[in-house]
Amino acid sequence: MNYLDLSIRDIHQALVEKKVTPLELTKEALKRAKENKDNCFEMILEEEALAFASTLTEPEADNLLWGIPYLAKDNFSTKGLPTTASSNILVGYKPLYDATVIAKLKEKKAVLIGKTTLDELAMGGTGTTGHLGITYNPYDPKHERMIGGSSCGSAAAMAAGIVPFALGSDTGDSVRKPASYGGVIGVKPTWGRISRYGLFPFAPSLDHVGYFTRYAEDAAVLLEALSGRDVMDSTSSVKDVDAYVAESEKELVSPRIAVLDDIVESIRDNAIRDAFLDSLKKLEEAGAMINHIRFGHDLLESIYATYIVISCAEATSNDANLDGIKFGPYYEGKTYQEVMSQARTKGFSELIKRRFVIGSFALMRENQDVLFLRAQKNRAKIVERTNQILADNDFIFVPAAPTVAPKLGATSDKLSDEYLIADNHLALGNFAGLPSITMPLGYENGLPFGVNFMGRAFEESKLLSICRTFEKITGICGDYYGKEGK
Amino acid sequence: MNFEAVIGLEIHVEMKTKSKMFSSSPNGFSREPNTQVTPFDMAYPGTMPVVNKAAVINAIRVANALHMTIDRLIRFDRKNYFYSDLPKGFQITQQFHPIGREGYLDILDRDGKVKRIGIERIHMEEDTCKQLHFASYSLLDYNRAGVPLIEIVSHPEMRSGTEAMHYVEAIRNIVVYTLTSDGKMEEGSLRCDVNVSLRPFGSDKFGTKVEIKNLNSTKNIESALDYEIARQSAILLSGGQVQQETRRYDEASGKTVLMRVKTDAVDYKYFPEPNITPIRISEEFVRDAIDTCPELYDSKKERYVSLGLSPVDAAIILDNLAMSQYFDKALGDGKYAKTVSNLLIVEVNGYLNKNGLTIEQFPLQPEILYLLAKEQEGGFTHKQVVDMFHYCVENEGAKPEDAINALHIAKQSSDDSLVLSFVTAVLDANPQSIADFKAGKDRAQGFLVGQVMKMAKGKVNPGAVAKVMAEELKKR
Repeated sequence: MNYLDLSIRDIHQALVEKKVTPLELTKEALKRAKENKDNCFEMILEEEALAFASTLTEPEADNLLWGIPYLAKDNFSTKGLPTTASSNILVGYKPLYDATVIAKLKEKKAVLIGKTTLDELAMGGTGTTGHLGITYNPYDPKHERMIGGSSCGSAAAMAAGIVPFALGSDTGDSVRKPASYGGVIGVKPTWGRISRYGLFPFAPSLDHVGYFTRYAEDAAVLLEALSGRDVMDSTSSVKDVDAYVAESEKELVSPRIAVLDDIVESIRDNAIRDAFLDSLKKLEEAGAMINHIRFGHDLLESIYATYIVISCAEATSNDANLDGIKFGPYYEGKTYQEVMSQARTKGFSELIKRRFVIGSFALMRENQDVLFLRAQKNRAKIVERTNQILADNDFIFVPAAPTVAPKLGATSDKLSDEYLIADNHLALGNFAGLPSITMPLGYENGLPFGVNFMGRAFEESKLLSICRTFEKITGICGDYYGKEGK
Repeated sequence: MNFEAVIGLEIHVEMKTKSKMFSSSPNGFSREPNTQVTPFDMAYPGTMPVVNKAAVINAIRVANALHMTIDRLIRFDRKNYFYSDLPKGFQITQQFHPIGREGYLDILDRDGKVKRIGIERIHMEEDTCKQLHFASYSLLDYNRAGVPLIEIVSHPEMRSGTEAMHYVEAIRNIVVYTLTSDGKMEEGSLRCDVNVSLRPFGSDKFGTKVEIKNLNSTKNIESALDYEIARQSAILLSGGQVQQETRRYDEASGKTVLMRVKTDAVDYKYFPEPNITPIRISEEFVRDAIDTCPELYDSKKERYVSLGLSPVDAAIILDNLAMSQYFDKALGDGKYAKTVSNLLIVEVNGYLNKNGLTIEQFPLQPEILYLLAKEQEGGFTHKQVVDMFHYCVENEGAKPEDAINALHIAKQSSDDSLVLSFVTAVLDANPQSIADFKAGKDRAQGFLVGQVMKMAKGKVNPGAVAKVMAEELKKR
């Protein structure tokens, strides 16, 4: 048994009892990080982490995150430390300030041991498009399978058991989908619950700070630490932060759970569908009331197109600041157009450029009505339908993904129901800004898959409670690939 | 002329709030370049806009002064384009929902008649950074990036350069007196783009529009428009067509000069700013912003005139905000307004000009100016009061009574019997002068008055002495 494998509360207990020190935990995490072969890291902060961990000598009994090693996706601004968003356009960029979540974790004295890879600028769901190449799924040592993205490095590092928690960001499903492929917990709270200040934007109306843990209780610990109003993010909520750890310990009495049948039916992998249906029975046995509901086939099918239009439109504007003038690699030019054009031509991959073209096209005066504004209207319809279901139900419960981690290079039929519905529905949580958590459900041929619970806005306590119940049902708790005794 | 000019104005005003429109960076002019900058102003990834409340209050006050409908939901949009002076690659503005809509401003037309000009919109936005171009390189100063702006867009309802000039003057008075902006065209804190087209009288169609930039004074607006109207008129009269273009005003030649021909308008791909959720402002907030708004130019002018100032004097004082603020304090109970204004316009301004100072640097407390005016109306001569004025200016903390003591200034008497007794004594003592006077030497009278003033040690009023002297000389 290694202390690093325990839940945050148990590690904390050991730290307080001085059975282990932050330095020992950090060394172990760094060792695992360096041994890892899945291309999880933009940067391992060995020197900085060891220096900081050595200063942590007096345990803080009331601070669960004291001395806990963690990782952050490389699209969180870290003062003085390079932050690239896995894009060549930001190579060498050293931010002047810490993202609010980084600052909060610093204040809690958690130990940042590295920055993790992502799909370039967090755009993408495969974990294959970052400037350092493909990030692999630890559950497939032959490196044939993806971990998913865009928070690929954090997801893979969690699946490899390197740290107890890792920060990610979620615009469509960028935490919750890779969590499913990596057999870990992926959390995206209500929009506005955690400050986005310092998170490099992809599409702000859909962007969320998210994170990965391996224990349901840890998800509550992190939410309590990261949530709250931030004057630097005027979209952050002024609502009080609940005592998520204590609140989520309370078992819910007959929670009402909506299962979206149209999503379940579109899944062709019988093992995943059967496991899901089996978990429904167990939830019922645990006292839950299951309501089978159809969301609406056409609406579900429109999620992907709606998402692409809105996210690309916002992205093309957000990333217009990356012009080589203020930071990042600079290329000489005779005119400002030449300087910008060179930086952007050399700095972005083709996939990113394609998204910018789509986004610009959708925002053009002559196209706005039929593309951008139509997508916004459709988003409103989808949100309305989601909230309608949640008016009568505490949660929406569905498989997080239709498959286990896909093989690299395998092309999915982007017009199939399975792709359009079961592979994209997690964006519902981004459209509506609702809290949504992916929980591990099982393994198929040794590859993990998960489910997703979504709750009402700012009802994270209840959502965390059902997840803790679910963790007991599956018995999957603290797993990672290669864990001792597994 | 056969044509009617159709003129519309877009005015950008830099607000003098303490911090910038969306960041906590200080908003100050003429500081070292790139010292008033936060990561947001340089568009560092992950930074987010936070709306400046003071800027919203200013915008509400200006919108109210322009009789506009104020939107209770504050919303912002992105205007997307690439330019070297635009750090984010977009400007945050209020394209779809300006804070103020449909108002008006009353100005004087060329004949001095009141004319109402409709105002389409007023909105808040952020300034770009300042560029300095050199032969082989350019420098960027981000101090200006993010400075709060309000843009005021008129309807095309002005018909002459004079009207446009009066309109800008009136707008400037509003932004200056609401304490929103310095409103200095020459320093760029008030910037003006003019659109002008011509059409035959009686037509309701618009002609081809020309935009004029680089107008750095209200006088230049009038001159540029006079020139441009004549230019377009000549083209049309000779059967030509006006080109849609942007021109700039060349002050030296008094002409407008072609800058660039306009092609298709740029598509700014506007969409709502996702990082600012719409802000609902309460009725109370709006009312409070309006109720606490400093007194506006027109209201002050009316007040000054009602206190006895001529409209010309009132305008002289109101031409300078700090001067009017000084005057308001010097007014006290308002009893001696006219005298206070004379002292301010002549003596204070004279002192400031002579010493190269501004009114903000003027050492004399306005309350002292009030007391000086009071002394003048209480019987001291203007010259005596001016002496007191200089004594008080030069001696910190000195009051008029200190000046009276120090300078031995005595109030002059106009008491006829006292004056007569001095006159009689002097005449009795100077028979030769009387003879000279009778012989036609007018100078002799002046000499005799001087003798009286000398004998009376300045305690009598020279006017009264002259009058009595003339009468007494006749009797001799």
